[in-house]
Amino acid sequence: MNTTTDTLAPLFQFLDHTLTTAQTTFDKLPGSAVIQRYVKSSHQNDPGRTLLELILIIFAIRTLLQSRTRADRNGSHFIKFTDKEIDELVDEWTPEPLGAPLSPSEESDLAALPIIAGPNGPKPKLLATGKVATNLASFNFTGLAGNEHIKQRAIETLRKYGLGSCGPPGFYGTLDVHMQLESDIADFLGTEAAILYSQGFSTISSVIPAFCKRGDIIVADRAVNFAIQKGIQISRSTIRWFDHNDLGSLEEVLLSIDKERKKRRSPLTRRFIITEGIFQKDGVMVDLPKLIELKYKYKYRLILDETYSFGSVGRTGRGLTELYNVPASKVDMLLGSCATGLASAGGFCAGSRTVVDHQRINGPSFVFSASMPALLAVSASEGINILRSTPSIFETLQDNIRAARAILDRIDCITVPSHSASPIIHIFVRHATPALLSPPSHATPTKTHHSHPTSILSAKDIGREAEYDAEERLLQEVVEEALTHGILVTRAKRLRGQEMVEPRPSIRLALTSALTKKETEKAVNTLKTVLVKVLGRKR
Amino acid sequence: MPFSSPSPMALNKPSPTSSIFKKRSANPVLPASAASYLSALSQADARARTGTAAPSFTSTPALSLSSSATASSEGTVLDPAELENDGLVLPLQPPTSEQVFATLHTEFGHCANDEFRTVSVHPVGTPLAPHVEQDPPYYVLLSTYISYLLLIVLGHVRDFMGKRLTPARYKYLMPHDGYAPLNSDFDSFYTRRLKTRMDECFSQPVTGVAGRTIMLLDRMSPDYNHTQLFTGTRTRALNISSYNYLGFAQGSGGCADAVEESIKRYGVAALGARLEGGASDLLGTAEALVAKFVGMEDALISSMGFATNSTYIPALVNKGCLVISDEFNHASIRFGVRISGAHVRMFKHNDMENLESLLREVVSQGQPKTHRPWKKILVIVEGLYSMEGTMANLPVLLAMKKKYKFYLFVDEAHSIGALGPHGRGIADFFGTNPRGIDVLMGTFTKSFGAAGGYIAGNKTLIDRLRVYGHASPYAETMAPPVITQVVASMASIMGVQGFTDAPKALTDGEYHHPGPAPPSALPGWLHLPPALASGAEGTERLRRLAFNSRYLHTGLKKLGFITYGHAASPIVPLLLFNPGKMNMFHRLMRARALPIVVVVVAYPATPLTTGRVRFCVSAAHTKADVDVVLRACDEIGDVLDLKHGLKKGERWSVEECIRRAGELGRA
Ligand SMILES: Cc1ncc(COP(=O)(O)O)c(C=O)c1O
Repeated sequence: MNTTTDTLAPLFQFLDHTLTTAQTTFDKLPGSAVIQRYVKSSHQNDPGRTLLELILIIFAIRTLLQSRTRADRNGSHFIKFTDKEIDELVDEWTPEPLGAPLSPSEESDLAALPIIAGPNGPKPKLLATGKVATNLASFNFTGLAGNEHIKQRAIETLRKYGLGSCGPPGFYGTLDVHMQLESDIADFLGTEAAILYSQGFSTISSVIPAFCKRGDIIVADRAVNFAIQKGIQISRSTIRWFDHNDLGSLEEVLLSIDKERKKRRSPLTRRFIITEGIFQKDGVMVDLPKLIELKYKYKYRLILDETYSFGSVGRTGRGLTELYNVPASKVDMLLGSCATGLASAGGFCAGSRTVVDHQRINGPSFVFSASMPALLAVSASEGINILRSTPSIFETLQDNIRAARAILDRIDCITVPSHSASPIIHIFVRHATPALLSPPSHATPTKTHHSHPTSILSAKDIGREAEYDAEERLLQEVVEEALTHGILVTRAKRLRGQEMVEPRPSIRLALTSALTKKETEKAVNTLKTVLVKVLGRKR
Repeated sequence: MPFSSPSPMALNKPSPTSSIFKKRSANPVLPASAASYLSALSQADARARTGTAAPSFTSTPALSLSSSATASSEGTVLDPAELENDGLVLPLQPPTSEQVFATLHTEFGHCANDEFRTVSVHPVGTPLAPHVEQDPPYYVLLSTYISYLLLIVLGHVRDFMGKRLTPARYKYLMPHDGYAPLNSDFDSFYTRRLKTRMDECFSQPVTGVAGRTIMLLDRMSPDYNHTQLFTGTRTRALNISSYNYLGFAQGSGGCADAVEESIKRYGVAALGARLEGGASDLLGTAEALVAKFVGMEDALISSMGFATNSTYIPALVNKGCLVISDEFNHASIRFGVRISGAHVRMFKHNDMENLESLLREVVSQGQPKTHRPWKKILVIVEGLYSMEGTMANLPVLLAMKKKYKFYLFVDEAHSIGALGPHGRGIADFFGTNPRGIDVLMGTFTKSFGAAGGYIAGNKTLIDRLRVYGHASPYAETMAPPVITQVVASMASIMGVQGFTDAPKALTDGEYHHPGPAPPSALPGWLHLPPALASGAEGTERLRRLAFNSRYLHTGLKKLGFITYGHAASPIVPLLLFNPGKMNMFHRLMRARALPIVVVVVAYPATPLTTGRVRFCVSAAHTKADVDVVLRACDEIGDVLDLKHGLKKGERWSVEECIRRAGELGRA
């Protein structure tokens, strides 16, 4: 080995020299620090190794990495300081506090949060008062919460599997009960396969970046929920927005993208439409058959978030696909939550085998997180079994929704944008101007603005911040007053300042089949009294 | 490389059991007429609605759980194939009449010898020794490079040929019918051409408790790992892979009893987000207990560990802030930081000098282009790194923090419970006050045998996160049974006042850990058995884990292997280097008479040349289990030529290691 190195020494020396000169230029390139460090650490005065390594790195870069660049040490902006100057600058610098205290109204809202003592369900006991309230806030559409059979099965599972799985799915965290639930979901919906995530909320923000990469195109509804917004943000894809639940606007956007692509002759990239079944922000429902038609027409893949429609609409709760009688296999990625739909925990993405297997390697919160506790998976499986065989759950639920809407739709001081079959019901304060997120009614002449597919409108943009603040206080008052009457409702809580679109403040009801029609009517009537009283007084 | 499993080398008899894919009655069997179908439906409906158990609703396959000699609860079925004692199911030495073991040996091993215990602590005031990464001989590196080169070249050749000869099989990678492929040829090269070859090592389905042993569902691949089929047999293996540091993954015992009680009382789900009707008294109790455990003013709990980072970091920093992140930080941290919109810089893994020079640069330069001062700087490190077994150099970080005024965020996912004389993580290990750290994050998936995560800090900060964290209004809160597992396991590590003596500070220094939990910190209905309430069992677990970690770590070193990480770390990476050896190592361990399952990790989870096997030691392991692992590594190490750490003469024989275990475990 030594002799070969000796004879080749001049060549290596030359290479070495070239390398160092290259390095200086290289330094200025973004991302060079990582590579440089790597080379240095393995170089170790052994040029043969460097050469080999170099070849490999070139290969590795070519095949494995996509350009992930950071603009850091931008040469022209770098100022040279002496050590002393740096010390002074360090001394001078005072950071902002890590967490600023909450504002008084935020603090009072936090303090006013209802805390439930004991099991949550249709009639939970409240910690503060010790009184029982009728629950129109928690997600329990199917009334599966507290089901004795599920509890029994959960306990059996606990005894067989313990609680935690103590590992990510890749490393001995895949249990047979997870595979069972995945196949149960796929069976239930009629897709080839499904994949389970351990938190509902984190599902879609992981699914989107698993498929959508830089350069891909996403066309999304302006009012998609926060998890979708974050998924889109982290994917770094090109994003185009269409007006909330306006499929006409969607088609316009699709057309314009098509035209643009033809004009520019840009290469074919992956294209996705992302929207929700029932929208978290206002309970509006998407017209699935039309959406599917558009998706096929323009050759897009559809990512449909059914967090609030799975386990809530359709004859047996299969969601929008059942309601509209569309085969679920036509939705490329169908997402749902076992936490909201099945009163358990976790989320899923159903689709073709390719779609699911891809996520097993590329879904960040699937790969890098422990799998869900066995007993929660079994509870969800049991939930599906019960839904399959118990269509009456959804009859009761729909009866309750109709009863509630019959009352709410007649109150003057509010508007209810939600779909008439949606168990999520949003209540807005009635307004002179149309709501930002209310479904576009083509009859209203106020709709004169043109849709901007690359921008979104937020409350700030349209100067409604103060108005929203006032509404929020009013609704909070309604919530607190309703609680004194034994009705647990909640404002739709938002991340003010972090949302892309500031939705109008609302009260969000979540109806359940665990209450009878009478109980629901009674509760909603009480709410009506409070609404009329508080909103009427302030107007 | 065709790898079919179970391997023909398997020396053990696979135990025949029913297939897990036994078709269950997912749909009720259709009775003959529509009318009778409807009536059956409505009956089932009625049953379900009244909430009584309906026998037709079985959704999990019936599994038999093997029992142990000392505990055989009703309903456990002894698997005849497992009765042949190899030390896996039953202890090799039967317990004497004085020894009472309350655990199942398969879940939590029986080990009574007090010699095999030690304390996880770092001498206060001494610096953390730098971590030396030993390099293997030249030929090992060379062959590693050549292996990868070969794999890559071969992969490209196969792609090239394949696309021409069997285009149908590549169709999914090509644009078709106007759709771009979901998975491009380029992006998936690594997965298709490298990972597929070792798929045997990944995503092995299991059943039962991931305790000291684990039950594997045997599978085989007829087509070079493109599909995996279940053979229907199952194999029990020694589990040195799960993050079960304190052995709380148990289906029996005080914690499981508490969880059962909580299911009866609370049901299974929390039904909503913290801010929208999902907050419960149990959650509040648990958050207060977590704060007490980690020694901070307040804490919040989130239902998923990954999401704790990915949804709460954005509430800490945003545009105009700088995050300085260790290069080996976990994916969840990167996810959160990227979403936050803050600027990110990385420093070399655990390199404090590199960090300092970076800090000097960023503070003096300010924000890019504008040179405005940063709003704040957050340094994010992990307490214990999950692939390296290295620890954050907390004393230096705390000293540097005073000078540079950054905020410190420590992800204690792996260190909480696993390090420190009281199991309180990295601060406890170094004997410093945790309040010197701004944000302590951790997960319950590891040491506590539960799921989810927490963030602890001062009250103002945590309240802010309660309102501004993404999970707060939108994500489901932690399920009551999971919370109960957290509370019960945590309380049994702390001990409960009135059941335990006043806290003995094991370290002399300014820091005294917060001590046992006041009884009021636990839910009123929760009654822990005396062994747990007194903290005796918790302490025992901590000491067993500390011993096992050191014993395995130094034992492997003495045998001549190259290992990474701190000796006190329960994560013990053993370097394999060559990609081909990973597969072999995994398979040879699995195929032993006493099967052992291991985790092998390669590029891209590690740098290219440092493929490794990662052992996760547990308090559930007995000293004899670690002996078994050492013996196996010793034999396989010779076969695969892995002993590059020590010269022949300096190595110990495996018998010597085992004989001098007590010494090694306290080294
Ligand atoms: C450092 C670190 N943070 C966070 C997590 C995520 O935790 P969980 O598995 O509970 O989602 C992990 C898990 O591997 C981890 O290693």
